[in-house]
Amino acid sequence: MGSIVLVVRLVLADVRRHRVQAAMLLLAVTVATATMALGLSLRGVSDALYEQTRAATAGPDVVALSGDTGPAVTSALASLADDPEVVAHHGPYRIVYATLTARGSTSSPVVVHGFAETPGAVDRPLVTSGRWVRSGGAVLERGFATALGVGVGDRVTIAGRSYPVVGIAVTAATSIYPWAAQIGPGGGPSDYSGLAWMTRPDARRLAASHDLPVTSAIDLKLRDPAATEAFMDAHSGLGIRVTFQPWQFKAEQDTVILRDAQPILVVGSWLLSFLAITGVAALAAGRAVEQTRRAGLLKAVGATPGLITAVLFTEYLALALLADALGLMVAHLAMPAIASPTASRIGDAAGPDGATVVAATVLAVAVAVLSTLRPTLRAMRTATVTALTATAHQPRHRPWLTALSALLPTPLLLGLRLTARRPGRAVLQACSSATSVIAIAALLTLHAQPERGYGLDGSSVLPNLRGEHDRGLMLAVTILLIALAVVNTVTLTWTTAMEARANMAVARTLGATPAQITAGLSAAQLLPGLPGALIGIPLGIGLLSLFAAPNAADPPSAWLLGAALATVLVTAALTALPARLAARRPVAQALSAETA
Amino acid sequence: MNVSGGVVRARGLVKDHGQGQSRVRAVDEVDLEVPQGQMLAVMGPSGCGKSTLLHLLGGLERPTDGEVWVAGRRIDTLSERALARLRRRSVGFVFQAFHLVAELSAAENVELPVLLAGRSRREARRRAGLLLDRVGLADRARHLPSQLSGGQRQRIAIARALANDPLVVLADEPTGNLDTAATLDVLRIFEDLRSAGQTLVIVTHDERVAATADRLISMRDGLFVDDTRLAGSHTGGLGGLIGLEG
Amino acid sequence: MQDAVLAMLAKEPAHGYHLRVRLRQSLGPLGESMNPGQIYVTLARLEKAGLVVCERAEGLPERPERKVYALTPAGQQRVAAWLAEVGWPKPDLAEFHLKLVAAAAARLADPVELVAAQRRELLRRLREAQRAALAEPAGSGAGLLLEGVVLRLQADLRWLAACERAWSEVDHEVEGG
Repeated sequence: MGSIVLVVRLVLADVRRHRVQAAMLLLAVTVATATMALGLSLRGVSDALYEQTRAATAGPDVVALSGDTGPAVTSALASLADDPEVVAHHGPYRIVYATLTARGSTSSPVVVHGFAETPGAVDRPLVTSGRWVRSGGAVLERGFATALGVGVGDRVTIAGRSYPVVGIAVTAATSIYPWAAQIGPGGGPSDYSGLAWMTRPDARRLAASHDLPVTSAIDLKLRDPAATEAFMDAHSGLGIRVTFQPWQFKAEQDTVILRDAQPILVVGSWLLSFLAITGVAALAAGRAVEQTRRAGLLKAVGATPGLITAVLFTEYLALALLADALGLMVAHLAMPAIASPTASRIGDAAGPDGATVVAATVLAVAVAVLSTLRPTLRAMRTATVTALTATAHQPRHRPWLTALSALLPTPLLLGLRLTARRPGRAVLQACSSATSVIAIAALLTLHAQPERGYGLDGSSVLPNLRGEHDRGLMLAVTILLIALAVVNTVTLTWTTAMEARANMAVARTLGATPAQITAGLSAAQLLPGLPGALIGIPLGIGLLSLFAAPNAADPPSAWLLGAALATVLVTAALTALPARLAARRPVAQALSAETA
Repeated sequence: MNVSGGVVRARGLVKDHGQGQSRVRAVDEVDLEVPQGQMLAVMGPSGCGKSTLLHLLGGLERPTDGEVWVAGRRIDTLSERALARLRRRSVGFVFQAFHLVAELSAAENVELPVLLAGRSRREARRRAGLLLDRVGLADRARHLPSQLSGGQRQRIAIARALANDPLVVLADEPTGNLDTAATLDVLRIFEDLRSAGQTLVIVTHDERVAATADRLISMRDGLFVDDTRLAGSHTGGLGGLIGLEG
Repeated sequence: MQDAVLAMLAKEPAHGYHLRVRLRQSLGPLGESMNPGQIYVTLARLEKAGLVVCERAEGLPERPERKVYALTPAGQQRVAAWLAEVGWPKPDLAEFHLKLVAAAAARLADPVELVAAQRRELLRRLREAQRAALAEPAGSGAGLLLEGVVLRLQADLRWLAACERAWSEVDHEVEGG
């Protein structure tokens, strides 16, 4: 019990003393776990939203559609309702393929369902604003209306005739916008389409007036909603061409819009975790001497190695787990917006499921352990007396690099030698730059992809929501990655400057100017940053090609090189400030601090 | 370069550390002139301001008031960059804690100021060879500081201070961390420098080191309390020291 | 001096000239100021005291340096006693201390000034001894002797520093009161 008190006290004291570091660990792990939780939850949330919409709209278990028309087809479809497995049905009803124009210019393919003014037992679209169809008035599906920017009271033109929008509704009978057309005219392929409802007579008039293509559909409710497969098998030989769409298919179709979002978030979370590890490792390494000395102190007063491990790990683990909880909460809050880019579904996202919580927690613990393993092991292994007198890490002699640097101008000479002092840190900086460039390369590649808009004939008057969603997520992930990389670079520069301050002070007594020291410290980060940025380009393209379609377009190489160059320039700018601050410290002070 | 007024000169030199209540006057209106070729020792108890004086003379710290001249040039008004250039060319520092760069070999440490002065690698190597030979450590050129004894490290540091042929060498407790034998090695080098006409200012609390100098200034509470010429005043034969005479 | 010369004869009889050379060697630069005749004066005194005997060496009668000196049994006893002796020269600090006290009491002089003057003198001596020591090659016997001189002077200087501190405080108290 006493040792628990001791551990808690030591951990709290340490966190209080190193607030910035604690905050950084917290932030980095929160971001990484939130992103991962989001990525892993997308599918489940999408399913849950479909399920809730289905419950609220009495969604059918199976929709049977036929591209043919005529009384034979209608009666064949209607006969399906006679199956003893069917407990309720709606229809057959008419689906008309038309073109809808809103606000004069925005045109889109639309499917119009002809419905009764009083909905039946199955497929009762939920009106979210306005009212249900009446003669002469149309109701728009909410995802479609949102994409069009149309609300109740506006007028839309369908097949040349103007209709007032009397209501907005959602349904589980079709997939989300823009996959409202379940089959194309005549049972063929379908375009990206929105959904509108009209009264049955209006729909019939619409179809007749322009001789528009029409299909028939019937919504069926089964005794056992899970037995859709068996039902469809039983009715495969109906005699007419019928397409069955079970509710499972519609739920699956809903997730198509998220197909790229998931890898963006999951891979993004790996990269974020990677940067979190490098950043926290850089900070932990900067404190390694102090940690070792503290461990020595604890051992000297009789602490067991177990207690020391506990103190060192508890601090990072506690912060990581707190960040994990925060991350899961953030993910929960952001979930509906990210899992449902259209407005076609209703309902709340439940919290992340068990598997997601476990995965995010494993990630958080891994970040904490990986970033503190080395200093912790060293602190534990170092003999007590050695630890108490621990001085800064003794860098190795590197004759070749030293000789090479002697040929260079002073700032590069200093920079190269600083880089050579801590090769591990140079690798961290290179990784940091590479990760930023990977993200930027992926973002540029996404922007370079050609895509079909949701408007008429692929017009981008109605933007491709899936592409927009992907780019938005990618942008967010990239911004987070760059933010962490920026923090890393500043941390690395500052740690390098602090560790090298004695040597830099000596260099100044030997006649190096503050400007040369500043340039040297910047160069120490840039030297590994440049190859890191260049490697990032192929890595970014390679990583994306794992998930992208095989015919994906590559972005112009000028963009990519520009991105790498910009990363290096930004690194230079970021290192300048901490380097300058460090170089301005009075020489005499730095020297006497070293002696003390 | 006109250095007739002394290689190093200071007038009305004042340095305060800290602010407000905790303000401490480390150097209190001091005048000083070190002629070319003089070896000056500054003695005093710790905290008397002698190290601060040395930092002021070498441009490592800026005076609160007063003037410092090195090689006929006023330096207390110079920019940091100009001060750095001055140190590069005209001043060599030797510290109690050696302050060698741990990951560089002895020769590379000595080469460092030559390279910082923008001279070629070949020249740096040549100077380092020469100077290591001069401090008797030519055979240790490739050793790292951690592989050398304290005395050897300090000799390397002296060689480094001499790398750019400075007008003045400023040494801050150069033997403070050394045992007797190593102290003698360092003093031998100083003696050698003195006879070669090198201007030296040594801050020390060790009487032995001070006694090597031509002139001794005693400092207390930031003030000069004594200024003695040690050279030239013969007090009788060495035998007098052990009572062989009389 | 007498004891040292006797001890040098303990190994074997020797010429006065050889004794002088050996003394000079051991003392190094410190022996340079030694009077060349001093060794013979010392030997004559020892002979008179019956501690050494002088034998005239044969073959070269015309040169006075050819006298060879040897220890008598009394001389050998004296050498043994000298080696066993643990006496040590006592530092004569009391005199200077009393000088300061007297000067202060009678207001004859400022003790701090006296200390400073004394310090300057000792520093000059230290400088000389120090430089002589540095000039000695490593491992020379004279170097070791010089090292002893240096260390004693250093000890005296430290005592003077303590005197200076103490008397300065007395001054301040007088001024303050």
